[in-house]
Amino acid sequence: MGFSLAAALTILLNTALAWAKDSYAPLNSFMKALTGHHWTTHGLVDLVVFFGLGLVFMKSPWIEKINPARVVPILIGSVVAASLGLGLWYVFF
Amino acid sequence: MNITASDVILLAHASCGVLGCVAATWVFVEVLNASPRNAARIRRAALFAALSMAAAWVLGGYWYVHYYSPEKAMILKGPWPFAHNLFMETKEHLFFATAILAFLLPIACREELYANAIARKLVLSVSAMVVITGLALEGAGAVIDHGVKVALLRGPGKGN
Repeated sequence: MGFSLAAALTILLNTALAWAKDSYAPLNSFMKALTGHHWTTHGLVDLVVFFGLGLVFMKSPWIEKINPARVVPILIGSVVAASLGLGLWYVFF
Repeated sequence: MNITASDVILLAHASCGVLGCVAATWVFVEVLNASPRNAARIRRAALFAALSMAAAWVLGGYWYVHYYSPEKAMILKGPWPFAHNLFMETKEHLFFATAILAFLLPIACREELYANAIARKLVLSVSAMVVITGLALEGAGAVIDHGVKVALLRGPGKGN
């Protein structure tokens, strides 16, 4: 369950980071300076957040308090929101 | 015949993406009939889906960073600039969501799915989302490719 919640948060963060990069050029330049390309940095941030949060959540006692039946709607909701968020952003950006 | 490294990498990227979708479909069907007998097979298929998407990430990322710029310029000057502005921009970021879901798949499949209805529902949902978003990305790739084609056939100076 820890990694499922980590995936939901990472997928939402991924869309938020895409918006931030497009809205704030210095962030895009900073991410480009880190690895040579903003997209490479973006992917690495997603991987670190997913596996990092997953490991943290796995060992957190509060994760047991979350109703497991809620994880699937949370994950589906995050994917739908993140996908629509990206698509609509690039339609109107 | 003139096949470049760019051609091989791009086609390998798309092929790995398709393999990932096929493996996720395989997981979905196996989990519908989850039992102790197919538990190991489900885990192997889930791992294969994750590895295929990882390969698609590395290959597509390498191609995007090293070879895409001239094609992007061509698309933006052609009659289908939205092939980059909408489809590539969305694809290059939505891909991360598909890949994260594919990486989640083998982790979620560590549960005893035949005995755990919630874990089963999770794996069915994740594998379905890998397939749906993966196929959307394949379609976006086709639109981007067509954006280059129409730029070459009908772009500036082509007289159409």
